[in-house]
Amino acid sequence: MAGVLQGEVLLPEQIADLLGLEGALGAAVGALIGAFVVGNVMLAFTGVAGPWAKRKITAAFTDRIAVDRIGPFGLFIIVADSVRLLSKELIIPDGADRPSYDLAPLILPASAMLGFAVIPMGSLGPLNIQLADPEAGLALVFAFASIASVSLVMGGYASNNKYSLMGGLRAVAQNIAYEIPLVVTAMSVVVFTGSLQLSTIVAEQSTTLFSIAGVSIPAWFAFVNPFAFVLFLVANMAEIGRNPFDIPEAPTEIVAGYQTEYSSVYFVLFYLGEFLHVFLGGAIMATIFLGGPAGPVLPGFVWFVIKIWAFFLFTQWCRSALPRVRIDQLIEIGWKGMLVLSFANLVLTAIIVGVIA
Amino acid sequence: MSVELPADADAVQTPAEVADLLGDLVIGREEHLNAPGFVIKPNSVVDALRRLRDQAGFDHLSCVTAQEYEDRYESIYHLTSYDDRTQEVSIVVPADKENPVSQSANEVFRTADWHEREAYDLIGIEYDDHPDLRRILLPETWQGHPLGQSYDQDQPQVVPLREHQNPLLEDQTADNDSETMYLNIGPHHPATHGVLHIKTVLDGEQVVDLEPDIGYLHRCEEQMCQNSTYRYQIMPYPDRWDYISAGLLNEWAYARTAEELADIEVPEYAQIIRTMGAELCRMAAHFLALGTFALDIYGDFTALFMYSIRDREKVQNILEELTGQRLMFNYFRLGGVVWDLPEPREDFFEMTRDFLEDLPTALEEYHDMMTSNEILQVRTVDTGVLPPEVAKSYGATGPVARGSGIDYDVRRDDPYGYYENLDWDVVTEDGCDNFSRLLVRMREVEESAKIVEQCIDLLEDWPEDERNIQSNVPRTIKPDDDTEIYKAVEGAKGELGIYIRSDGTEEPGRFKIRSPCFSNLQTLPEMSNGEYVPDAIASLGSLDIVLGEVDR
Repeated sequence: MAGVLQGEVLLPEQIADLLGLEGALGAAVGALIGAFVVGNVMLAFTGVAGPWAKRKITAAFTDRIAVDRIGPFGLFIIVADSVRLLSKELIIPDGADRPSYDLAPLILPASAMLGFAVIPMGSLGPLNIQLADPEAGLALVFAFASIASVSLVMGGYASNNKYSLMGGLRAVAQNIAYEIPLVVTAMSVVVFTGSLQLSTIVAEQSTTLFSIAGVSIPAWFAFVNPFAFVLFLVANMAEIGRNPFDIPEAPTEIVAGYQTEYSSVYFVLFYLGEFLHVFLGGAIMATIFLGGPAGPVLPGFVWFVIKIWAFFLFTQWCRSALPRVRIDQLIEIGWKGMLVLSFANLVLTAIIVGVIA
Repeated sequence: MSVELPADADAVQTPAEVADLLGDLVIGREEHLNAPGFVIKPNSVVDALRRLRDQAGFDHLSCVTAQEYEDRYESIYHLTSYDDRTQEVSIVVPADKENPVSQSANEVFRTADWHEREAYDLIGIEYDDHPDLRRILLPETWQGHPLGQSYDQDQPQVVPLREHQNPLLEDQTADNDSETMYLNIGPHHPATHGVLHIKTVLDGEQVVDLEPDIGYLHRCEEQMCQNSTYRYQIMPYPDRWDYISAGLLNEWAYARTAEELADIEVPEYAQIIRTMGAELCRMAAHFLALGTFALDIYGDFTALFMYSIRDREKVQNILEELTGQRLMFNYFRLGGVVWDLPEPREDFFEMTRDFLEDLPTALEEYHDMMTSNEILQVRTVDTGVLPPEVAKSYGATGPVARGSGIDYDVRRDDPYGYYENLDWDVVTEDGCDNFSRLLVRMREVEESAKIVEQCIDLLEDWPEDERNIQSNVPRTIKPDDDTEIYKAVEGAKGELGIYIRSDGTEEPGRFKIRSPCFSNLQTLPEMSNGEYVPDAIASLGSLDIVLGEVDR
């Protein structure tokens, strides 16, 4: 499955080499261990983000202090919250549609975890952290990310609650309206690279765009095509359902949308899934617009982490500062605004690239 | 806009002119302390009110009071005018003791709908031609009418759950083929600002029909006041009506009515302190209204909510210094206030001035984040539209009326306290939408700040030997038998009126509260039908109701 431009050895193979295993067994063991490690790193990020970082960030925006009683900077709240959430009673409403009610909270985090499989996360020492690098990587990661809406609809309709149902329906309407501009905008990047392979896209961005006073600015697509970057950022916010597009949840309108009836572990899984999707959204942004793991001095993986956390910070900023749009306005922005703009962007990019190259 | 008036209708209506206008409908006269009273026949209510509204400019049905006497039932329609609050008239409608039936005024004033339902619920008068005469504050299964004279306080109220109306029942029996969806918003819902139940019928995301269901927070406030003495015992209760920092404004409503009833003078110095305290309360209440409105639009505990709570906190600290309490102030007394400004006075003045100095910066921040935010504008401009005629018909007052361009403020139109002598403006906005109501509140905070500043200046220079905080008020107050009065003040949410009928004892014979939120909430269906759910929620937020005051 090696691509044309693919130069580096992927994480599973490296692990297999380290363990001295070869062939199918080596590939399987390497892949399992690699996936386990990457998955757990992402889960750890969510663990820090959910109970602690989100509170701290929001508090900073809203003039408060937030958790500071337990442990240094209140960090042990993560432990306390985990115990609290896991020890709560799992309440399943009457008339819930059982298999789908139970499956929905599993699908949401799982879909996000799958997405991380193809993201090039940069190097850390001798390791090149990327689990797989298929040629259709970009298409794949969008496909994985959009499985999320299946989960939201399932949860929404299986809960036997009208608020949940409305949340689920809103989620579908929103995802359809924004998936298309999202993918079309991403295509304008592909016009530059000529490849859907994520490692290629990252490699393309490592060239120097121009130099100012000895500092070379890399050819990140965010710099090459800032318009596409902004479009993608907005569509991405809608895709992951954060303010001002947190319509599927919309507390104060439809209580908590699709997750109204979920409690205990299922609630944790939904929460986890949402944060994983925020991080996946950040990872996609970083990969196709911000040079992936590229950055000076620090190892690539550290830069990658900084970038996805920066995106997380951005979502929290929006959450604290922006009102929510109405569902019909959201659909209107999606179909009448974003879609047109993203196609215009694609066509313009194609013409410019065609003329210059 | 307002009802077409004949050329001479804007002139002051003397009782004789009103009597001429009503002609043979009048079967008797009464004299209320605030207004002339005309007794009319139970079947001529619509006729009389329509004449008064269309030909004499009494376009504001402020309140409907119902009560039971030894020999009859009685409904009183307290009418006044949006153009001239000092014009008042009471239409007294007696109803038969055995068969208390009276004509409904719903046809002329939409606000009569809920007021008459309340009268039916608590007193037991039945209103003919009322579109929907059901209980409103008490549960459907309640036995008897608790403010009626024959009501047995000791009879057990057996209201088991199975007999009680099941809120889900209607839903379950809904036709499966129907294209609409029935949705219960509340009693437990993040946006209901208390325990409010809104029965909603949705077509997709759009509201087809909406009906607020109130009474979850009914605490018999009227009856408690009827069982308390004028002098001391009633004053703590008003704090508990609009409990969101508007305590002093509520206390003033009772103080004003009772002082007028018992003919009590209030020293000028005390009036200034009252005015200052009341305006501080209004600011605190408006800050909370801003914050919760932001919460409804933004949908999360956002920066704006916390900022407004932070600023409200500063006001609360000042009020705490002044009254010794943060929530239930109990600061007013008949004839003045309970104690003077806290010592050292300089510190109190400095604290208040500091707050007033920081206020423009804070408001600037709100305007940056709220009113000039495009998304917020898209969400609020032209949503929840309440045309002025509709607002008047529903008896809307306060920022809700002023957001619909109705220039009506009891502080200016029927002056009390020290407002007359101060320099301030009544804020109105013509948008009639959620955005206008938000703007009105934000600008009213500025006006209140102006008033507080002037009060501080006056208090600072007040000669030390003339600081008279209370006039000489007798220990027991017994107004003459059968004296009736209805007086209102401008509360945080609108016109807060009190009706008192004395029965010769030191406790009121009838104590009726006209809650501005009660009337304002009635406009919600008008504002929301046809709109999207999020806009209905935003409209509810922009009404700024407090369920403690709606349900009393």
